[in-house]
Amino acid sequence: MLDRPRALSGTQQLLLVLLRTLIGWHFLYEGYFKLLYPAWTRAGVPLERFSSAGYLRNAGGPFGEVFHVLADPAWAPWVDRGVAFALLVAGLLLVLGLFTQLGCVLALGLLAAFYLSAIPLQGVPEPRSEGTYLIVNKNLIEAAAVCVVLVFRTGRIAGLDVLRRGVARAPVGAPEAVL
Amino acid sequence: MTLTPEQQALGRRTFLKALAGTPALAALGATAAIKGPLPGGPVRLGFIGVGGQGRALLDSTRAPHAEVRALCDINPTQLARADEILKQNSLPPARHYVEWPEMLQKEDIEAVVLAPPLWAHAEITVGCLEAGRHVLCEKMMAWDVAGCERMRDAALRAGRVLEIGYQRFYNPLYEATYDGVIRPGLLGDVYYARLVWHRNANWRRTGQPPSPDYDPSRWGYPTFEHLLNWRLYNKYSQGLFAELGSHQLNIANWFFDSEPTRVVASGGVYRFKDGRETPDHVYGTFEYSGGRTATFTSIESNAFDDAYEMFMGTKGTLILKNENEAMLFEEGSGARASGVELTPRSAGAAATASETVSGTTPDPAAAASGSATASGTQQVERRVATRRQIERFCAAIRVGTPVACGPGKALGSARACILANTSLVEKAPTTT
Repeated sequence: MLDRPRALSGTQQLLLVLLRTLIGWHFLYEGYFKLLYPAWTRAGVPLERFSSAGYLRNAGGPFGEVFHVLADPAWAPWVDRGVAFALLVAGLLLVLGLFTQLGCVLALGLLAAFYLSAIPLQGVPEPRSEGTYLIVNKNLIEAAAVCVVLVFRTGRIAGLDVLRRGVARAPVGAPEAVL
Repeated sequence: MTLTPEQQALGRRTFLKALAGTPALAALGATAAIKGPLPGGPVRLGFIGVGGQGRALLDSTRAPHAEVRALCDINPTQLARADEILKQNSLPPARHYVEWPEMLQKEDIEAVVLAPPLWAHAEITVGCLEAGRHVLCEKMMAWDVAGCERMRDAALRAGRVLEIGYQRFYNPLYEATYDGVIRPGLLGDVYYARLVWHRNANWRRTGQPPSPDYDPSRWGYPTFEHLLNWRLYNKYSQGLFAELGSHQLNIANWFFDSEPTRVVASGGVYRFKDGRETPDHVYGTFEYSGGRTATFTSIESNAFDDAYEMFMGTKGTLILKNENEAMLFEEGSGARASGVELTPRSAGAAATASETVSGTTPDPAAAASGSATASGTQQVERRVATRRQIERFCAAIRVGTPVACGPGKALGSARACILANTSLVEKAPTTT
């Protein structure tokens, strides 16, 4: 259905690219922040080093065992670095609109891992959580938003993918860009 | 190449589409650079002088703010005691040095915490600053005004942090008092501050040299006794005005937002005629602009008054006692009758680890001499203040937050205390 030429309004295109940019910035800053460690706040307080080990150790659900293995001290530093780097890359791709589809897949993979490691099945406030969730949490909602960005191929609307695909070769079925 | 207006418009539009994410990246990146955290781990510290006060500072040094890489002291016994502190706090051992230039040369340290005898402050501080290290120097700033000025100028030239260790500035009680009482003007006009630090004990310490053949003469101390009791000799010390008075005078300067312009002092060695040179009784009057005056008295023959700072205003009286208690009395309410409750916590309150009983580090030499320790709450308050001081020093290095007592403030109180000793010796008023 999406392969058929479709005219999205300017506002629709703008909001889709904005959604992609916001998601991208969320990923980018999370990755940047984690890679920055050790670090200090500007008020002069040292920040605790990021570690996913505790998060992984407490993972439940059907894939709990897999996450528990990753919490092993031998793996944990690589997992920490890998997660931070993946967040940074996914964020950059989404913000810049470069290899956008790949960025979306990477973001979805990360969000799926975050969601599956801690599926909110209790429906009560969790420690260090700012809300109360049952099945649907912010990770799942963000994943759905990434799916929207993915299927609408927003790299064809705006972003470096436009250059990558060639200025002169307008993609078949691409929305008419009006940005 | 000729392009139609339509082609040009298409080209511009495509260009803008392609770079749509770049402005967002730049804007958000700039925000992160301005508001986001700054990189950096614990500040790598070296300690020079790990006697009583040096160990109190060491005891307050913790990750994630700082890590101790090296210790330097000319007395091996002190180094061994410092090692115990690290061990008690489950911190890794630090390398030992006797000569501080060697430590600076060999160690990858960013900052130095100094607590040697007063006469060495200026030389070591300037050396560390010129070697690119930040410095937290224990009070008083230096033995003479010229030394203080050299330290200040060296910090400016090197662009490094220089803080002088006055823990009261980091004591939550003093911060709250300043914000809640002094700044709002609850005391009215304050013309007089009484600063008191009375003890009833010998300031002299006893102890054994680290080895029978230990010779500290190459560092300027003819005997081990001179090193152990440097506070009692004029060559190394500025006596009670510096070791006790400068703490309280700094508070008067802070609360008056000013510095003394004229000093009159008297005193002498009246009780302990044991060869010491620095007086065991001192009385100083410090005059500020606007008709304001602070008096400081310190005696070694009676501890009834203990230690306090009292600010007497037209609307009220403030008493800060022993660094852990604050009292406020409204003028004319009749409260003055029971205002000052100077029940001593322990008969003969006197110095232990340092002259101000800093931290919780016991000093065997002081214990052997029969000195009393500070009360538990007093120790807790000082420990909290000392820890905050170290943390703020590290934060100043990492992210540039201001220190509470830099060279400007410290020089003001040091100058006044040095002038007080001059006045005491010359038996004449001195002016800044």
